[in-house]
Parts: sequence; C-alpha cells; structure tokens
Amino acid sequence: MSENRSEPVTGIPAVDASGLPDHVTETEIRESAARERREKLRSFLTNWQGLTGLILVTAFFASAIFASWLAPYDPNALDVPARLSGPTLDHLAGTDQLGRDTLSRILYGGRVALKIAAIGVSVALTIGLTLGMIAGFGPRWLDSLLLLIFDTVRSFPTIVLALATVALTGPSLTVVLAIVIITSIPQYARVARTATLTLRNTDFILAERSLGASMTRTLLHHVMPNVVGPLLILAAMDVPVVVTVEAGLSFLGLGVTPPTASWGTILNEGYLVIRDAPWMVIAGGIPLILTTLGFTFLGEALRDIFDPRMGKGR
Amino acid sequence: MIQTTTRRGFLGTTAALGALGLAPGWTTAAFAQPGNTLRLRIDRDNNVLDPGFMTGGTEIEAQKQCLPFLAQYARDGETFTWEPTYFVTKLEQRDATHIDFELAEGLVWSGGYGAVTASDVKYSYERMKDSDWSGYFEALDHVEVTGERTGTIVLSKPFAPFIMITLCHGPGAVLSEKAMADVGGKFTTKFPAVCGPYTYDATPGQRAVFSANPEWTGPKPAFDRVECNVITEVKAAELAFEAGELDCTSVGADTLARYTKDMPEGTGIAVAGELQYMWMGMNTEHPKLQDIRVRQAIQHAVDVDTILQGAYSGTTAKSHGIICPGLTGQRDSAGYSYDPAKARALLEEAGVSGLELTLRTLNNQERMLTAQIIQANLAAVGITLNVLPLDGGPFWEMGQESKGDTWKELELWLMRFGTTPDPYEATQWFTSNQVGVWNWERWTDEEFDRLYDEGVNETDQQKRHDIYVRMQEIMENTGAYVWINHEPEAFGHSTDVTVNAAPSGELNYRRFGMG
Repeated sequence: MSENRSEPVTGIPAVDASGLPDHVTETEIRESAARERREKLRSFLTNWQGLTGLILVTAFFASAIFASWLAPYDPNALDVPARLSGPTLDHLAGTDQLGRDTLSRILYGGRVALKIAAIGVSVALTIGLTLGMIAGFGPRWLDSLLLLIFDTVRSFPTIVLALATVALTGPSLTVVLAIVIITSIPQYARVARTATLTLRNTDFILAERSLGASMTRTLLHHVMPNVVGPLLILAAMDVPVVVTVEAGLSFLGLGVTPPTASWGTILNEGYLVIRDAPWMVIAGGIPLILTTLGFTFLGEALRDIFDPRMGKGR
Repeated sequence: MIQTTTRRGFLGTTAALGALGLAPGWTTAAFAQPGNTLRLRIDRDNNVLDPGFMTGGTEIEAQKQCLPFLAQYARDGETFTWEPTYFVTKLEQRDATHIDFELAEGLVWSGGYGAVTASDVKYSYERMKDSDWSGYFEALDHVEVTGERTGTIVLSKPFAPFIMITLCHGPGAVLSEKAMADVGGKFTTKFPAVCGPYTYDATPGQRAVFSANPEWTGPKPAFDRVECNVITEVKAAELAFEAGELDCTSVGADTLARYTKDMPEGTGIAVAGELQYMWMGMNTEHPKLQDIRVRQAIQHAVDVDTILQGAYSGTTAKSHGIICPGLTGQRDSAGYSYDPAKARALLEEAGVSGLELTLRTLNNQERMLTAQIIQANLAAVGITLNVLPLDGGPFWEMGQESKGDTWKELELWLMRFGTTPDPYEATQWFTSNQVGVWNWERWTDEEFDRLYDEGVNETDQQKRHDIYVRMQEIMENTGAYVWINHEPEAFGHSTDVTVNAAPSGELNYRRFGMG
C-alpha cells in the first residue's frame, strides 16, 4: 500500500499505517479524493476574493515576466526635456524627474518585487522548513537552541536590522534579499516545528521508526509532506509582506540602487515631487496595493479551502 | 454589540484609506506660533562645536549664538561686507598687518568663568593655528594683549580679507581660556562656557535647543527660544514648513522653482548667495583612475547642462571652478566640454574597456538625480557606474585619513563646499598639506601651493584674479574635477519672521527678526 495514503493530511484524521479497512476499496478512496478536489475547486471558483486574488497575482506575474515586451520605453532612458510630464498617450503614467517613463519603470519594478518575493520566500521557506523539522524531531537541547535562535532573530525589527546591515555593506538588492530571508525564516521554522511535534508521536511515524527508518528518511518521506501544505499557504500570505518590505527599504534608500526601478524608489521619487507631479506617487502606489491585496486574498482563500477550521468568522 | 475587526476588513479599510491618501490634497501653510519660539531645521546633529575641529554648517550656527565674535557679516545691497559685533567697542585695521580691538565692558562667561578678556581672544586665535581650520589663520602671527579688554591681532603678512573671512566666520569664535583649560583644551557637544544671548542644549537625533541666557546683558534677540529640529531630508523639512511646523528651512531646487513661480500665501524666500561650489571628484591615486586620460575621459563624458536642468530645475549657475560668482578669480568657462566622442577616444587611447566605478554621494534628491544623470552619461561611453548613496556621517568622513581607511577605496564622489566672500578660502582645501584631510583627490602641485601663498599676500585685484584663475586651471588639469554648479542657499520662511544668513548659508538665529 502507499505510505502517503495512510498519512494524515490537515483536516483529515490519521489512518493506521497497518492497512485499509476491509470495506474500503482503493477505487473508493481515489473517487473520494477526486470528489474532494472538485469540491475545493468549486469552492475556490465561487469565492470572489480568491478569484480576485488569482487574477491580480496572475497579472503581477505576467507583467513582471513580460516587462520587456510590455514596457513602452527603456525604463532607464533619460529624456530631461520631458521631465515631470503628466499622463499622456505617449506616457500613460507620466514621466519622472529625469524624463523616464513611469509606466515602464513600474513594470520593471515588478520584476524586482517578483525576484525578492520568489527567491526570498522560497529560500526562507526551505530553510525554515528544514530547521523547524529538525527542531521538532531532534533532541530537546537542539529544539531549545533553535527556538532561542528563532526568537532572537524575530526580536530584531526588520527596519533596524536593515539599517545596521546597510551601514556595514551599503544598499543593494542582495542585502534586501538577505534581510527578507533572515527575518522570514523563524516564522516558517516555528510553524514547521509545531506541526512536526504533533506528528512525531503519531502511530504511522512510530511504526516507521520501529521498522528502522532513519531520521532523514522519516522527515523527508513522512513528516515533510504533512507539514509543507500549511507552509505553502503561509508563504502565499507572506509574499505581500516581503514585497512591501522591499518597497519600504527601497523607499528609505536602503534597497535597490540607481538606476534599478523598484516600486519603493518610484514612491520615494514621487513623494519628493508630490506637489508638482502627484501621478508618480499614485502610479507607484497602485501596483503595490493591488499586489498586496492579490496575494492576501489568494492566500486567505487557499487557507479557507485547505484549512476549514480557520475558515469563516475571522 | 461587540464589533470585531477582521483581517480582511482591516486590509480593505487600509487599502481604501491608502487610495484616498494618494489623492493630492493641497494644504495651505499655516504657521503655528507657540510662544516666542523660532522653529528651524538642522540637517544633522552638531557633533563638534569646537571651532578648531568642527565640520562646519550648523555647528557654526550654534557658535554664533553662544560665543563672542569680533566681527559679523553685513549686507550692503547685493554685496556682503563686515561690521563690528556687539562684543567689541573697537575693531580697526591700523595697517596691513595690525588689527586693534577693544572688547565691550560687562561681557561675562557662564559657569563663573569671569569676564571675557583680550587674553581669551589671544588663546582662541592662536590655538587655531594648530587646528583642522588652520588655513583661516595662515596669516596670523600672534595676538598682542595690551590691556584686560584690549589687544592687537598681528598678521605675519598683509591679508586684507582677514576680518571678512576669518573673524566673521565660525573659526573666529572666541572661547574662555579658563573653561577650556578645565575641559582639557578641546570639546565636542557641550560648550565649556557661553557668552551670548542663548545657552545650548541638544538631544541627539531630535533637536538642538537655544534658550535665553540669563547672564546675557547684550541686545535681546527677537526670539526667547530657538528650536532646531534634526530633519535629515530636505523634502521632509519642506513638508514640515508647509504644514506650519517650521518657521524657516532651506529649500531644494525644485521647491525654489515652484515658489518662484507661485509663492504660497504667508511665505517668503531668502537667498543667502551662491557661495557654494559643487563638483564630481576623482581619486587620482586609485588604480582605476591613475591614468589621467581616464579622468579626462570622464570630464568629457558628463553632460553638466543636463544635470542643471534635470536635477536643479535650471535654478543654479553652471560652475567653471571653485571660485563662486561675483568673486575675484571666477572663471568664464571650463577647459573641457561635453564631448562623448572625445571621451571614448581617450578611453581607447588609454586602453581601458569595461571600466566599472563607484560614485559616492549624499543621499538627497538633487545629488541622487545628479548621480543618475552621470551614471547614464558614463554608460554612454562604456563606463559602468555604481551609485552608492550615503548619510552625512559616513560621507563627510570617507576621504579623511584620520577617520578610517575608506579613502583608499574612494573612486568618484559628488562634493559641495560652502565658502566665504574671498577666493582664498575656497583654494585652501586643495593644497598639498590637505591631502587626506579635505583634498580627497589626493594630488599635489608645487605651483598651486606657491600661488596659494601669493594669493593670500596679493592686494592688487587683477593680480589676485589671475592667480586664482591659474590655480583653478591647475586643478582642472589634474583631470580630477568635473565642475557642476554653484547652488544658491535658499530659505523658505514665514512672512512672520525675517531671516539672517551668512553669505555661505549659515543662519544666525540671534539676528532673526519678527516680520
């Protein structure tokens, strides 16, 4: 029999690893799973927030990935005589102080946000998952040590950590990534640790261990598949946080360096000329708001579907 | 009924408020008047108030409120001149090398350090010869004390602008000899003793407060209290000013252009002068920049006219050297021009390709825009430029050997100095003995050093003009300078106050008035 079928999935009671009850056939199990998937998909498609989130997130990915095709101008091309032009057919979102096309810079700025979100969240998730499982499954002293480290890192305010790091290294995209990863790891690790602690004394894990499975095998094949689901939902919810952290650091001049376009730098430059060219702040703020809302809606819809206990009534 | 705030509700409300906040709402400046307090902005903390070892800027402003000076700037139409201060009853240039003074009666130091004496003047000026600002006292031989309140400043050589550029400026501050002995001969953020209309107290990162000095017997200033708020970013200060939270603040080029076009109600503009010179410097000792052809290529690659329009909204004068408009020695044109083809040819001749450089600059709007234009200009000739924005602290220390090893890594930087109304002042920072202090370009030239001495001694205006023009040619020929502009120091102020500023832009709070 498949080991995976016997493992508990969030919201589904654990099944004994010794085998299926006699009256339940494998076909019935498959049909039940397919029915459940269809229900979840129907539930998602009827959830307006989830759909809105999906559309916004898709638009975010598409505009960032295809920025070089969508952008009407080189985002760094100067045209000083046309500086601070208002929105026109030539420049739909106007131009900045150096005459650069704001729309093109927004589209390319999406790439920075996407890069930070994709790399930052995935690396933090991977490291957090690994450390969390080790903490939950390892000896008590290791658990205590890792918890101490997680709490220490979490106690640093992100901006203060960024200020200190930038003072030492200077601002760059790499620094922003490092800060995002370092500050995000503890939350993934804590969730993974809690889930692992819940699983470590379940029958199927004890059975696996009694059959002589190594810790690595147990973690990779039995614990991780059960822990990763909630973490992926958490990651979706975390993307807007990461995007706003990057924008915030770039706004403060601690993020990307010129001439790289970022939504944060566009907002900063717009704020400096808000009296003369308010469209810069508006144009820079809209994608940030939409992306944040998109990922939040999508993440919450996914959580509602996959974790019904957390669903309604928040 | 208990109303709960859900995460979704919070997000929705925040998004709606955020979108509403983006809608441009124009506020009209409304200046609050909480008592008799003048509210100003300083761009950083005052770290060293000691005239000998200060950075300058707002530290000079603090000295002017709390320490005696023998002379002060006066404005005569469009030109600046000097006049004796309240602290002296006599200040006369007897001949080319002797300046007699007599201190006013009744001046006392705080903290029980007694009366201000001629001996204090002697101590204060003679110690400056061994200070970071020794250039200002190059011509000083000694101070002769002839009485408790009288003395003579004796110069070693004729130097007509000594009163104007030395005694009126920060280095001309007088300290209490006894108080200085008690603090070991140097101080940083606390005056050992004050004698002026205000006392000084500062909270780092927040504000410096000048309160009425109870021991002051001189003319009462218009404001009992002056609050100088630390606001690093000029745009933030402008917004605070427009919201009525400040009575006066320096304004950036964009705002100056906007105010000039459409002055807000209740607001005035005061321009201190164009005694600032900005350039892009190059470290001639750095391996990437040792070849003069590379430096000259960079000179030809930068489009200064675009910088003046793009970063300064056309509000500043193009620079051709370090001598500012209206001063003896100002040049009409630079010896190089914007010529990308020539820049590429020079780089090819030098055998340089794929050059990558770092430009360090203060992190403010105009400098960052300037840096980005230079970045685009250099990219056009095949040089990759990384821009490294810095805060004031690390920026002002990066070229000084006494402050660490950053000077070894310096490649390019954007720099602006303020000066006084005499060409001598601007040239003093580039002599051989300033290498590693303020001459961050790190070149030396015997002719320049010789001309510097000649310029100090020369009284013939045409000859002085020729000397300073030649000195700037020498600087330019090192290839280490791209001259950018002379930025006016402009202040937006409430029409309820009148502004007093030195030609170099330092405010003198004690001489502010009610509008």
